[in-house]
Parts: sequence; C-alpha cells; structure tokens
Amino acid sequence: MNARARTWPWYLLLAVILLGVAASLWGATQRIDYTWRWKRIPQYFVYRGEDVATVPADGRVEEVREAGDEAVVVFVDETGERHEFRVAAGTVRVSPGEDLFAGDPVGSTFAWRTGPLLNGLWTTLWLSFFSGILGLLLGLVAGLCRVAKNPTLRGLSVVYVEVIRGTPLLVQIFIFYFFLGTVLDLDRIVAGVLALAVFAGAYVAEIVRAGIQSIPRGQMEAARSLGMNVPQAMRHIILPQALKRTLPPLAGQFISLIKDSSLVSVIAITDLTKSGREVITSTFATFEIWFTVAAMYFVITGLLSQVIQWMERRLAVSD
Amino acid sequence: MIEVRDLVKVFHARGHVVRAVDGVTTRVEAGEVVVVVGPSGSGKSTFLRCLNGLESFDSGHVVIDGQDLADRKTDINRVRREVGMVFQQFNLFPHKTVLENLTLAQQVVRKRSQDEAEAKARALLAKVGIAEKESEYPSRLSGGQQQRVAIARALAMDPKVMLFDEPTSALDPEMVGEVLDVMKTLAREGMTMVVVTHEIGFAKEVADRGIFMDEGKIVESGPPGELFSNPQEARTQLFLSQVL
Ligand SMILES: Nc1ncnc2c1ncn2[C@@H]1O[C@H](COP(=O)(O)OP(=O)(O)OP(=O)(O)O)[C@@H](O)[C@H]1O
Ligand SMILES: [Mg+2]
Repeated sequence: MNARARTWPWYLLLAVILLGVAASLWGATQRIDYTWRWKRIPQYFVYRGEDVATVPADGRVEEVREAGDEAVVVFVDETGERHEFRVAAGTVRVSPGEDLFAGDPVGSTFAWRTGPLLNGLWTTLWLSFFSGILGLLLGLVAGLCRVAKNPTLRGLSVVYVEVIRGTPLLVQIFIFYFFLGTVLDLDRIVAGVLALAVFAGAYVAEIVRAGIQSIPRGQMEAARSLGMNVPQAMRHIILPQALKRTLPPLAGQFISLIKDSSLVSVIAITDLTKSGREVITSTFATFEIWFTVAAMYFVITGLLSQVIQWMERRLAVSD
Repeated sequence: MIEVRDLVKVFHARGHVVRAVDGVTTRVEAGEVVVVVGPSGSGKSTFLRCLNGLESFDSGHVVIDGQDLADRKTDINRVRREVGMVFQQFNLFPHKTVLENLTLAQQVVRKRSQDEAEAKARALLAKVGIAEKESEYPSRLSGGQQQRVAIARALAMDPKVMLFDEPTSALDPEMVGEVLDVMKTLAREGMTMVVVTHEIGFAKEVADRGIFMDEGKIVESGPPGELFSNPQEARTQLFLSQVL
C-alpha cells in the first residue's frame, strides 16, 4: 500500500483546520469593528529619513546649480571660506545672493533608516547572544561542579540551579535591576544581560550534567587507568563526547533565551517587545504590531532551529 | 611486583552490605601470570579494580612495585601509569581514531612528542595485528579488533603490570582466539599479568598460578595444572564442573 496515498487526506484536513482558525480570527475582529492598518507597519522597519542641511556660520549663498537629481549649493561665510552642500533636487530653500545666518536650512538629503522594529530586533539579538555566551560559560562551570566529588562545589551548584529554576525569570530580572543594579551600580543593560545569563546558566548546567552523566562510566575508568587525572580525562575524553550530545539541547535553550529576553523590556531596555509597545503608542495599530512582533520572533527562532537541525544531521553523519 | 595483604572492600548497596573482597592476601611476582576464576559476583572484578585504584578499598594494603595504595601520600596517577588495564567492554574512546586512542595518554600523561607516540602506537598496532586500521574509528572495528586495540592502548604506556577483566567475555566465539593469542604472546614475553577469565584452556596453557575466588575470599590457589584438574576444595570442584 502506498503510504503517500493514505496520508494526503490528513494534510487536507490540517489545511482546512488552519484556514478555519484564520477565518474565525478574522470574523472575530469584524465583530469588534477594528480597522486594520497594515500599511502603517512597514515604515517601522525601514523608512526614508530626512536630514536638513544647515549653514555653520553667517554668510551668503553664492551659487545654486542642479546636478541630476541633486542640487549643489555653494555658500561663502564671513571669513571667506567656501562650503558646498549637496542636497536632493527640489528641496533647495535658498536662492543665489541670499544672506543666511548660522543654523539656517539650505535643503535636505534623504537616506534609508532602520525603524524601531528592526532596531528592537537587533537589540534582542545581541542581548540574547551575549547572555547566551555568558550563560554557556556559567552553565559549563556549574554543570562540572554538579558532577564533582567535592560536596561544597556540588552543593553550590545544586542551590544555584534549584533557586533559579524555582523562581520566575521576571522576578529575577527585577532583583537584578532593582537590588543588584542599585547595590553594584549596574547599567540596566548589564543588569538585563546578567539576569538572562544567570537564568540560562542554570538550565545549561542541567544539560551539561545530563550530557556528562550520559557518557558510560567505562570511559572515565579507561582514561584513569591510563594514568590521566580527572581534569585531563574530562578535557580529552568526557567533555568532547558530552558536548557533542548536548549541542542540540543547548541550541534549544538558546532559542528559549531569545523568547525569554522579551521580559527585559520591563526594565526599559528597548528590545523588540519594548519597541513594539512604543510603536503602538504612536500608531494605535495594536493588533498589527503584536502580530508583526510575534512573526519576527517566530522567523528568528524558526531559522535557528533549521540551522540546528542541519547541524544535528551533520553530527549524526560523523558518528 | 604486587603484594596484597588483608584486602577488604565493602559495598553498601541500598541497606544491605556486600563484602565484595573479604580479606584477600596474595603476591604476584614480576613476570608471573596469575589467572583468577570464580562464580559471578564472587568479587573478581572488584579485586582487580582495587589493584589499580579504580576502586578504593576499606582496609588492607595493595603494594605495587613498592608503592602502597593505602598510603595517602601515594600518587595514584603515577601508579596507574605502571598498571595497564583491559576491560570486558573494551572502553575505547569512540571520538578518537585507533591511532589517537593509542597516542592520547602517551602525550598527555607521559609527555611524549607526537612523533614518538605515533611510532610507538604503530609498532604496537602491528604487534596486535591491526596496523591497517589505524585511521578508523573504533565503532568500525569488530569486537576482537577493538579488544586488541584496547590491549595495545594499555601497552603504549609501557606498564609493568597488565590487568585483564574478562577480556573475551563480550566477544563472539570466533574472535576469542585472536585476543587470547595476543595475551599468550605477552605472557611469553615476560609481562606480569593478572587475568580474570573463564577460559580454563588459556589458564592451563599460560598461567603460572590460578586463584579460585568465592564470596570475596580466595578459596584455593596453586599451579593451574593442579587447581583446574585436581581441585581440593568442594566449592572449586563444583564451580569447575559447571564451567567445563
Ligand atoms: N559499585 C557497586 N556497588 C554496590 N555493589 C557492588 C558494586 N560493584 C560490585 N558490587 C557487588 O560486589 C560483589 C562482587 O562484584 P564483582 O563485580 O567484583 O564480581 P565478579 O566476580 O567480577 O562477577 P562477574 O563474574 O559477574 O563479573 C557483587 O555482589 C556485586 O553485586
Ligand atoms: Mg566482573
């Protein structure tokens, strides 16, 4: 029997259900009389920004000449120094021979700028990146302590992991910002990165511990029987094997971190979520912005998990 | 070479106490080949693992080449370099090639140069008959080949003693011979060996002495010809009648 022939009705059903969900969402917004203004959204990604060119000192316009879609304004100040301004054609606000005072506009230039949504996305990405790296190091150390013989190290690691995993991230961020931030005089960005790193570290520690413990005991015994001490055996035998196994869950943890980083918006870090809130206050396009923000997170995490799947396939081949 | 006095190892496993090694005293001279046999759970592995400190013991003394493992000042890593061990499950390093399996500890522990370590490794691989597999990963080898690599890996550290814990028990029958052949060669070359095994034929052929263990104690020991053909103790007789 052909497996393909038997599964297509189910995919059809899936499509019908998804379409049904979309239709009912649309129907629901019809009922509350919401006007969708999707056209307003793109300008919050990129827009053409206007720069007004102004003269630096008092003086006189000597010449205005057109050069394609640009105009060149030649201006001579009181000391006799010549200035040339290139501005967009049609924005010239002066005429030859006109006297100008310092700060008077000559014309404008236009350039593409990234809007708040892209800026916020960028902040989210590097915030996640740095706290991810820091969290990885922290988690590696904590994970190694967790499997150490020394009860003090083990205890410290257990307390760290349990406390962090047993409290909400939002509360941890507040503690880092209001308590540690005040006591240690930390910048809000630093407090945010630290809070995320400490949070991620606890989960990384568990992943590292599980990875190390998944390596058969015989590996450590073989290494020790060859005269290696514990750090040597860890470095050459256990960790290389364990890290290979923990790569997929670590990457998954990083994806979680990107999503969790949205919580730092509560301490006024302008990440993607905070940018979305700010845009809403000026557009009132509440629904559109939140859907857009959600889609942006989804695209990033989706791309990452594709990369991870590809990585996993590569690793599986080398086994 | 090895001196064991009143060795005791107790396991506390979920409430009940297991005296895995219970007052063992014996000596292994340089160049001697000693075979240890006994029923499952009699403490053979535990005894062997005490000899290179993989298992810490509760009382008694294990003196290897003049160094007492019970002495807290003894550097266990130093002793282990001199004592090679071969495991039932091979325990090769799966993320390293065969050659790297042999060179890693030489470089890390013995601080040999890469060239020196590789030359040594190639010579040993040729000796155990798998020179052509040096760049393979262990998972691509048969069980018998893996165990021969494991033996070569231990030999690469130039040990004074080799310990074998049932080296052929995890092998398909047709591969047992190739591993035993390597061990026989070693024995003839004068290596000091302690071998836990169920291969009575091998024991009779190369061992200088046999030890029968049961319930953590040495029940009977002597030249293999006598121990395995004409045992004195009832428990030895019962065990041998079941194995043979
Ligand atoms: N890590 C451990 N924790 C608790 N009990 C153990 C441990 N290792 C071994 N034992 C117990 O000690 C006893 C001796 O075990 P050992 O493995 O030395 O026997 P053995 O003679 O090697 O047996 P086999 O022929 O099955 O390998 C057994 O009763 C076993 O259950
Ligand atoms: Mg055993």
